[in-house]
Amino acid sequence: MRPRGPVWLAAPAVLVLLLVLAYPLAIVVWRSFTDPAVGFDNYVWFFQSAVNRTVLQRTFVVAAWVTLVSLICAYPYAYAMTIVGKNVRLVLILCVLVPFWLSGVVRTLAWVILLQDSGVINSILRGLGLSPVKLIRTLPGVIIGMTQVLLPFMILPIYSVMRGIDTRLLQAARSLGAKPWRAFLQIYVPLSLPGVYAGVIIVFILSLGFYITPALLGGPRSTMLSSLVQNQVLSLLNWGRGGAMGVVLLVATFVLLAIAAPLMRQKHSSTRREA
Amino acid sequence: MKNLIGAFALTMTCALALPALAQEKPVAGAVAEGSLKGKTLTFVSYGGIYQEGQVAALQEFVEKSGVTLLNDGPTEIAKLKAQVDAGNVTWDVVDTADLPPYIHCGTLFQKLDLSKLDVSKIPPGQVGECSVPAMNYGVVLMYKNETYKDNPPKSWQDFLDVEKFPGTRAIDGSGDPIGGLIEQAVKAAGGDPKAMTADDIEKGIQKLRDLGPDTIYWKTGAESQQLAESGEADMIMMWTGRAMTAVKNGAAYTPVWQDWLVVMDQMTIPVGVKDTDAAYALLNAYLGQRSQEILTEKTSYTPINLDAKPKVDEATAAFLTSTPERIAQGYQQNIPFWVKNFDVASEKWSALLSGN
Repeated sequence: MRPRGPVWLAAPAVLVLLLVLAYPLAIVVWRSFTDPAVGFDNYVWFFQSAVNRTVLQRTFVVAAWVTLVSLICAYPYAYAMTIVGKNVRLVLILCVLVPFWLSGVVRTLAWVILLQDSGVINSILRGLGLSPVKLIRTLPGVIIGMTQVLLPFMILPIYSVMRGIDTRLLQAARSLGAKPWRAFLQIYVPLSLPGVYAGVIIVFILSLGFYITPALLGGPRSTMLSSLVQNQVLSLLNWGRGGAMGVVLLVATFVLLAIAAPLMRQKHSSTRREA
Repeated sequence: MKNLIGAFALTMTCALALPALAQEKPVAGAVAEGSLKGKTLTFVSYGGIYQEGQVAALQEFVEKSGVTLLNDGPTEIAKLKAQVDAGNVTWDVVDTADLPPYIHCGTLFQKLDLSKLDVSKIPPGQVGECSVPAMNYGVVLMYKNETYKDNPPKSWQDFLDVEKFPGTRAIDGSGDPIGGLIEQAVKAAGGDPKAMTADDIEKGIQKLRDLGPDTIYWKTGAESQQLAESGEADMIMMWTGRAMTAVKNGAAYTPVWQDWLVVMDQMTIPVGVKDTDAAYALLNAYLGQRSQEILTEKTSYTPINLDAKPKVDEATAAFLTSTPERIAQGYQQNIPFWVKNFDVASEKWSALLSGN
């Protein structure tokens, strides 16, 4: 089942990627082993530092949370987009896309105003006689802010797959005696999984590199690895160490994907058979 | 007759030599007419109202000398290093934070030839081997009036004492370690900042950590201002410019001037610029009295020419740090110590800021 056809159509994209991604990445990797001295010093330093280990682990935990919350929000939203009328769908699509057109910093500052102790949410809570909640400079605050930024990357792939699902399959299941929820879980959900996988991978990987949102919405306990990389590269000019940190994050991500990919493929093919 | 000729010759020599001498001894703010026609200088600073003010301060220099002034920014030492490493330096004059010119003196920044600059009007102790000040400002402790009422904090020692002065603290977490604050923390922990060793850095950092998990580390000046205007924190460590703006916008906070931390931006010339003399000419013009007055009037930062008499409103004047009273209250961090221990301090500071 290998895809055939004019492979050269991918040439422009490949060329751009080689130039602006592969080449700089190669320099980063090279530097991580050679700057300031040849060897594994930068990596030894990375894993000897408790700060680095804690923050690396935290980065993956935050990314996992954001992915999970995004999925919970995006799935019903994407489904709703497939069953409503044309006009409502347009509104729903706009709601997803409008935040895309705003700068990340502006969006994040809007969240500051909403989440802070004297902010909109807590003012409403106080007005209702409820006790205020600590949102800003906490992990939940960071997860809320990042989820909003990344939600389109989850909704759009799921929606594009859902749109192609033949709803007559559900009717067929119903006519064969399946209850609505059973038809949905056993027919619709498996068919939508390719979109879910795509969304999960995109959101998870983008989350790992987040910088500005955790910096502004989080506190010290939600600092992510990108902040430490920034410190090494921009402030201390230790480009070798910064490179090593990037490489560690990259390799860890690859390892995780390598573990997840076979699982996904397996499920995917089994759904095909069922379908 | 011979004597007469001799006297005449002597006079002529003096008359000829004088302008030459005048050229050798530059005067801050003086610009030679048309001297840089056809040349281009790139000035790099931190953007926003600050860089606009600096450009306004250099307006006369541009018009008189005929130079084309390009602006770039924000200043990133990493970008400068990339330019110097590649041997292609496009930044001619760079405004930096206070420590980089000391840390990278001679490697990224040129050692300054003070015969090409008039530094006589710069406040004492501010000229470095590789830098002259760009402006002065302070870091002050701002406390919330409503929280402390009759018993306000009076110094950094009170800021660092959560038992006597409960409340949320906000600290400058925008970048490099704040040497002045760590020194104050060492003092609060029972140490002597005047005789600090590298091991004391951890002591000071630990004192800051002990302020508790609610401590806010703001990332940008705008964020600190926002914290004050919304009343989020009870004591905020703030840059004077931001503190002034917050107060103007109605933040009910009061500054504590005792031991305010003296900070300066630096003006530097990178190693490997194409026209060093043109860069010196810009610096020398920038240091002039009128330029510094314009800078302060546009930005509210304190001028670094002692003769400068900027016309500013009352609110701005209240936050200028150049009055004799303010100068007496200021606290100057131990620059040589922080330059020497920059890597250790930065490592520990970064751990503090990432919750470790």
